[in-house]
Amino acid sequence: MGQISPGDLSSLHSHLEGMSNCTKCHHIGSQVRNNECLACHSEISQLQKENKGFHSSSDVRNKNCVQCHSEHHGRNFRIVNINPKTFDHSKTSFQLTGKHGKIDCFDCHKPDFMTDAKYKKHKGTFLGLKTSCNSCHQDYHQGSLGNSCQDCHGTDAFRPAPKFNHSSTKYDLTGAHQKVECIKCHSIETKNGKKFQRFKGIEFTSCASCHKDFHKGKFGDKCATCHVTESFHVIKNLGSFDHGKTNYPLVGKHTSVDCKACHKNGLNTRPKFDKCISCHLDYHKGEFTKNGSQTDCNSCHSLDGFNFTSYTIDRHLKSNFILNGAHLAIPCQSCHKKNEKWNFKIERRDCVDCHKDVHGGSVPVKYTGEKSCTACHTTERWNEVNFDHSKTNFVLLGVHQKRSCTKCHTSNKGINSVNIYFTKKSECVGCHKDVHAGQFAKNGIVLCQSCHQYNNWKPELFDHNNTSFPLNGAHSKVDCYKCHKQVVDEKGKYIKYKFGEVKCALCH
Amino acid sequence: MTKLQHWLYLLIGITAFVYLGYAGYSYYLTPYEERFFHPSHSILKPSGIIGHGLGIIGSFMMLVGVVLYMLRKRLKSFARVGAIKNWLELHIFLCSLGPVLVLFHTAFKFGGIVAISFWSMVAVVISGVIGRFIYVQIPRSIRGNEYSMEELKMLNQSFGEKLKNEFNMDNSLLTKLEHFASLKVYKSPNLFSIIPLTVKDHMANKKILNELKTHLRSEKISEKSINQIVEISKSKLILSRKISLLNSVQEMFRYWHIIHLPFAIVMLLIMILHVVITVAFGYRWIF
Repeated sequence: MGQISPGDLSSLHSHLEGMSNCTKCHHIGSQVRNNECLACHSEISQLQKENKGFHSSSDVRNKNCVQCHSEHHGRNFRIVNINPKTFDHSKTSFQLTGKHGKIDCFDCHKPDFMTDAKYKKHKGTFLGLKTSCNSCHQDYHQGSLGNSCQDCHGTDAFRPAPKFNHSSTKYDLTGAHQKVECIKCHSIETKNGKKFQRFKGIEFTSCASCHKDFHKGKFGDKCATCHVTESFHVIKNLGSFDHGKTNYPLVGKHTSVDCKACHKNGLNTRPKFDKCISCHLDYHKGEFTKNGSQTDCNSCHSLDGFNFTSYTIDRHLKSNFILNGAHLAIPCQSCHKKNEKWNFKIERRDCVDCHKDVHGGSVPVKYTGEKSCTACHTTERWNEVNFDHSKTNFVLLGVHQKRSCTKCHTSNKGINSVNIYFTKKSECVGCHKDVHAGQFAKNGIVLCQSCHQYNNWKPELFDHNNTSFPLNGAHSKVDCYKCHKQVVDEKGKYIKYKFGEVKCALCH
Repeated sequence: MTKLQHWLYLLIGITAFVYLGYAGYSYYLTPYEERFFHPSHSILKPSGIIGHGLGIIGSFMMLVGVVLYMLRKRLKSFARVGAIKNWLELHIFLCSLGPVLVLFHTAFKFGGIVAISFWSMVAVVISGVIGRFIYVQIPRSIRGNEYSMEELKMLNQSFGEKLKNEFNMDNSLLTKLEHFASLKVYKSPNLFSIIPLTVKDHMANKKILNELKTHLRSEKISEKSINQIVEISKSKLILSRKISLLNSVQEMFRYWHIIHLPFAIVMLLIMILHVVITVAFGYRWIF
């Protein structure tokens, strides 16, 4: 006798084929009741008792099983027919959110994730999963952070953990710590042969646990005394900071300088301090560069200010311009600050570069040399003149040697200048007055030295016997003025020594 | 009236088939394993309110059609109730429409033991169609009673005289017609060859009648008369064939009963079993 089944059972129920099995599902007189279904599907019954799962939802609980799970529609009939696009997973005990809503059903509903072995055999079952995260997901934290993954992680992605609040830990993140990538503190290591990011058990009592001590222990281990978490560049309690502990203790003017004036890129930056010009502008604009190397300011200046200098006269004596004489007495700026700015690199060091040539070019170069005064003058004083007059055509003899130069060389003192002019005349009358009113001139030239020498005006060289009127007799004993008397005529007042034709009657 | 009744039955049957097919084609064309998910499944499935109803009503029609016809045929007390021909028409109608409804009750899903009932039903219907064809090959009176051979020969002869007297058909043409309508000797047909044989004969007759019609037109006979002549000639030709096949057909008809009835019994028994099981399992339609 053939079977009375209206069609093949689905593959999941195929073991119930055969007339002897009809009443395992069909109740005589009552079609198919839930009791018969649940007698086998005790797991569903148990879930309903526990008020868990899709079959406990209000939409499903009061339905007959066969309303959804019909039978006798062939071996390949989908007795469990869930449309992933329309199935409301929120009716189960596990609402799909985030990425859970985008993945395939069987990415989760697979034997690997089923904790109960009996479900693993049931191909295509949606039972057997637990709602705890680690029933499907591997615990990346290897149990170190407990089982409540959802306290930190969302369902959109494993990373980041949007619900995690670092302030709920023992180490509240403040300042720049909030911007630091997690991995900077929570390093990835290998634990039990697997990648493991350590979140727990990280030493944080000291800043040095994570940060390298930039100061190499000079300031102790209490970084927070000066530093805040906002930034290393922000320093607190600056007033109490002891710069003396640094490699560059502040001295002199530096003690009153604002920190940022040197620490321009932040207070924790270490400006170069090996040379003053590391911070300071070279006022002298490289004037002190020698052999390509710039002389540092501290060779002249101290930390007490730039206005003071340690450049002594002794050092100046070792320079290319030896200070001596009157130069020692003049203030520096007389030479080095002729304008508004100090200038220490004086290229031209001839006397005339500083001093005015008061002689107006009247001193022949052959005696002085080019632009130099040292042929005559010393640095002691201008008045001291060491000119060797013998180099000239006019050798100083007698009283001339004792006379002041200006006696011969005209001096015209003004307020700001001294002008000395030298006569070009070498004749005596160039300086001296011809008191003889030209009586002894020959061809217009008065030759004083015919009678006079340089020690006095006495006519030591005059011999009356060499004249046209030799003195003899009583004449030799008569005073000169007896014969040579003072006259006054158109030539002025003078003693007359020349008489033309000498006749006795002229006197007698 | 008989003809109208005949067409009315046919119209109802075809309409029922077309309507049910049209209304449910989407469901019935859905693969078995997907039908559960079809929105019409709950009503058109064999246990649905419509599907189940079609099965019950269809079965009831067949049952009534068979019982009434059998009672009319078998019981003397019903022998005079209506013409047998009309009862047969009713029998054919109910037992044609019923299977149509049952066909849709199955939702074209033929499996299990009840399939035996279904295919038995199909066999009964097919044999019924063949039987109906054989039935009409036996000349009957207007009430459906069979003529004897003598009566038939007289009837055949009366057609010839009618043509000769009423339409003045010339002898040559009449002779020719008589030649064609002479009792042919057919190779004894069986259940399977009778239909092709009849069709072949029908085609031959048609050719003869066309020739006759052409000839009559050349004789300038009115179109109305031509049609009457052709109609009588056609009756004569068919009657000639029926007379020639009468013995064979009558014998065949006896054998036919032997086939038709057992299938009906098998169908009925398994249908009862089917009904008992469904009722036992709680499928009681609207009851």
